[in-house]
Amino acid sequence: MPDLNQLMALPGALASFEFTDKGELIKSNFTEGGGLDETALDLLSHVCVANTAIATMQARGWENMTGNKGFYPVEGFSMIGLDWTTVTHGQFGVVMENDKADIEAAYSALA
Amino acid sequence: MKILTDLIGMPGVICAGEYSYRGDRFTYKGQMDDEQAKQASIMCRATTMSVYMQTDMLGAFCKDSGWAPNRGWVVKGPQFTVCVIANIFCFINEAQGSLNRILEHMQQELSDVTNELV
Amino acid sequence: MIKRVLALDGVLAICHFRDDGSFVEGYGMMPEDQMAGLAHFAHDYKRIVQGNTDQLSMFTGINGWTPPSGWVVHGQTHVVCSVGNIVCLLDEQASLSEVIQEMHEVSSW
Repeated sequence: MPDLNQLMALPGALASFEFTDKGELIKSNFTEGGGLDETALDLLSHVCVANTAIATMQARGWENMTGNKGFYPVEGFSMIGLDWTTVTHGQFGVVMENDKADIEAAYSALA
Repeated sequence: MKILTDLIGMPGVICAGEYSYRGDRFTYKGQMDDEQAKQASIMCRATTMSVYMQTDMLGAFCKDSGWAPNRGWVVKGPQFTVCVIANIFCFINEAQGSLNRILEHMQQELSDVTNELV
Repeated sequence: MIKRVLALDGVLAICHFRDDGSFVEGYGMMPEDQMAGLAHFAHDYKRIVQGNTDQLSMFTGINGWTPPSGWVVHGQTHVVCSVGNIVCLLDEQASLSEVIQEMHEVSSW
């Protein structure tokens, strides 16, 4: 299980968070003055759960239709914003600054 | 389109494509047939629309948020990853390519593309 | 004319939006900026539902879902529903069937 403090050690990490399977925020860490708070992370968790559900539907449909396996089950969803990138996997996520973000390292840390 | 040629030349990229925001056309390069590329375009476009709306909402609730406007998204599966920046999609075989390098290239090349057409 | 939907029990607000998402008009017990926000959300949500039903049809080969006429989101005490380019906010006193039927009529004008 990922450790929220260790996730904060990822390059450019602004926040790390854990959420329920419905997207409700359970625990979070965030840097002071980083512009994030628990309300924003709770909403973000809901967004990530919603998109993972949609991506799971797409992966299932795509595999059935094309016969190409390797997309399902979805192991992570990321959103890339203007300045921040969010990476989630399962019930954990991390927000990083774009110019420092290492998305592969984030997926490894979350796995 | 130059970026599609660039992407398909990068290790691990199976297919790269462009879809119109209106959903009425698409182009692609790589290992897919026309029908699959069309379906991939439909899926990527639908997710992009959804993510754009969600990041706008996040931006509304979280002032000075770095999420909005959205630039793209990534979905990772056990063997394959799909990543989208602006209206360009890319299917990657994870064992053969670096998501970081591909994303970095896409973000650099597409940094001037605006979200106005979405 | 969309005002007539407001006469039904439990309808708190009704808004009309254009295909580009811009707010046309709204009536009910909400400030204008919130109505514009509701219209904006409904427009975005309409496109998401369209995208998802397109995919459902694509994956299943069944076309009965597309194009979608509308959508309903049911909360604990409130409901938001949309048909065409009209969106309504309802409370628990509303009859969803009655409201949707009326919205179908109004949206086809």
